[in-house]
Amino acid sequence: MKKFVNDPRQFVPEMLEGIYLASGGRLKYEPKYNLIYRADMPQANKVSIIQGSGSGHEPAHTMIVGKGMLDAACPGDVFAGPPVEFVYETTKLMNSPKGVLHLVNNYTGDRLAFEQGREMCEMDGIKVATLLVNDDVAVKDSTWTVGRRGVAGNFFVIKAVGAASEKGASLEELVRIGNDVIANVRTLGIALTSCTPPVKGSPLFEIADDEMEVGIGIHGEPGRQRTKLVSATEIVDIMLNAVVPDLPFKGGDEVALMINGLGGTTIGELYLLYGIAHKKLAAQGIKVFRSYVNEYCTSLEMAGASLTLLKVNEEIKGLLNEPAEVSIRVF
Amino acid sequence: MAATAIDDVDLVLRTMAKTIVDNAVYFADLDSVAGDGDFGYSLRNGFEVVVSDYDTFDRSSVGAVLKKIGFVLSGKVGGVSGPIWGTAFLRASQAAGDKTEFTAADVIAILRAAVAGIMHRGGASLGEKTLLDALVPAIDTMETGLARPEAVQDHGSAALQEAADVAVRAAEATKPMLAMRGRAAYTGERSIGSVDAGATAVGVILQSVSAAWREKYAQKETGR
Repeated sequence: MKKFVNDPRQFVPEMLEGIYLASGGRLKYEPKYNLIYRADMPQANKVSIIQGSGSGHEPAHTMIVGKGMLDAACPGDVFAGPPVEFVYETTKLMNSPKGVLHLVNNYTGDRLAFEQGREMCEMDGIKVATLLVNDDVAVKDSTWTVGRRGVAGNFFVIKAVGAASEKGASLEELVRIGNDVIANVRTLGIALTSCTPPVKGSPLFEIADDEMEVGIGIHGEPGRQRTKLVSATEIVDIMLNAVVPDLPFKGGDEVALMINGLGGTTIGELYLLYGIAHKKLAAQGIKVFRSYVNEYCTSLEMAGASLTLLKVNEEIKGLLNEPAEVSIRVF
Repeated sequence: MAATAIDDVDLVLRTMAKTIVDNAVYFADLDSVAGDGDFGYSLRNGFEVVVSDYDTFDRSSVGAVLKKIGFVLSGKVGGVSGPIWGTAFLRASQAAGDKTEFTAADVIAILRAAVAGIMHRGGASLGEKTLLDALVPAIDTMETGLARPEAVQDHGSAALQEAADVAVRAAEATKPMLAMRGRAAYTGERSIGSVDAGATAVGVILQSVSAAWREKYAQKETGR
């Protein structure tokens, strides 16, 4: 393992301390619960928006805490959802008369922690609603499985409800808006390399130099299939052929198009993929309303990328265009 | 089996906690085959506190110590394991109540309560490639063994060893199963061919507990 790390078990706390110190007072840090939260929250006239999830997906979720996005994030260890107590204490701390919104990516660990945490909060009289994000088309949905995973599409849910909450939307309105985004967002990821959780110290899975994993999960879970590495254009075809028919996205639709890096792929490669995807969508009559090319939801140092499409309406467009202030700023 | 007292409970819980901490890397490696590799490390975050702080726990009753462990796990363990194992201990605690010693039937009732808690929290049932596939047959075996007259003489040692052996075999038998719960479920048919990490952990834990139990009661026999 070659990483900037001291004690691997202190990786998450030391990273969180960095986020806190870099924020210039905009954020606060509670080490007991891996909790990063806005210094100006909670507020009586705004619903508080919380996410947990595992660490190792940065900038999701601790680095996108800020005005117009998340109000607090309480991640667990790398690739492990937070303990119930983190959810409970975070929700209590962020309690607002307008209520608290839990954004949960659809993984069993996250769901169980947030379900149990919510039960405990409701016993204390806290008003809580939950949104379950499940945009990954790699997982075939059916009644007996645990359902689709939440991956990079999570960003759009955060952006939309974050913006709406700043304008005073009620908890019920945020649930409606969030579910509208979730119903219209789809993602597929492809990995070129594995990744190494600091505590494990070795790669999570093996993958040959000439192979790729189609439909990779953001914790290194196997995807739909392992195939030979193909050209960038063919990779975009695989992504679009999985994502576009799933909703389906159709000619005349307006979309947000995200090319998300999984942690070990250069921004140049991401823009290369973006250009190909943009042209192919245009050829199908699908218009890109707004582009997102960067790292949004990563899997440590995994080389790879995911493609997310969100079908937008006037309301969602307005919310995506609202300003936000988060730790990840490059200018 | 003669009545079991709090020092027997201490032995079981301490052995269990130490076994989980000692095997964290092994369990995590098993989990990285089909799951995401966090299982052993997540559990360790809680059970290492059980190991280090056990002497400070309220042990006025069996229910009290089980409840304390349930709270530690809910506070420290993330991923799927925290809610699942935390709920198991809290349900076991409710079943144990303020008893300070109990019978074979009580032990089985406490274990069954933990299983009900796991099923409630995780929504899983048998055959879905989870820890239940080792735990439930092990408890069934223990119940049968403890009902035999010999169980009184050997303090349930043989019954516990049989249960541990059944758990190991049952964990091995999860190999051809299709994972339907937890993150391993995403791998679909590719989860077939590797053992379930949780079921394997149950086998490893029961073997350690059984060894510690036999050692304790063998020493008692020779001491007489």
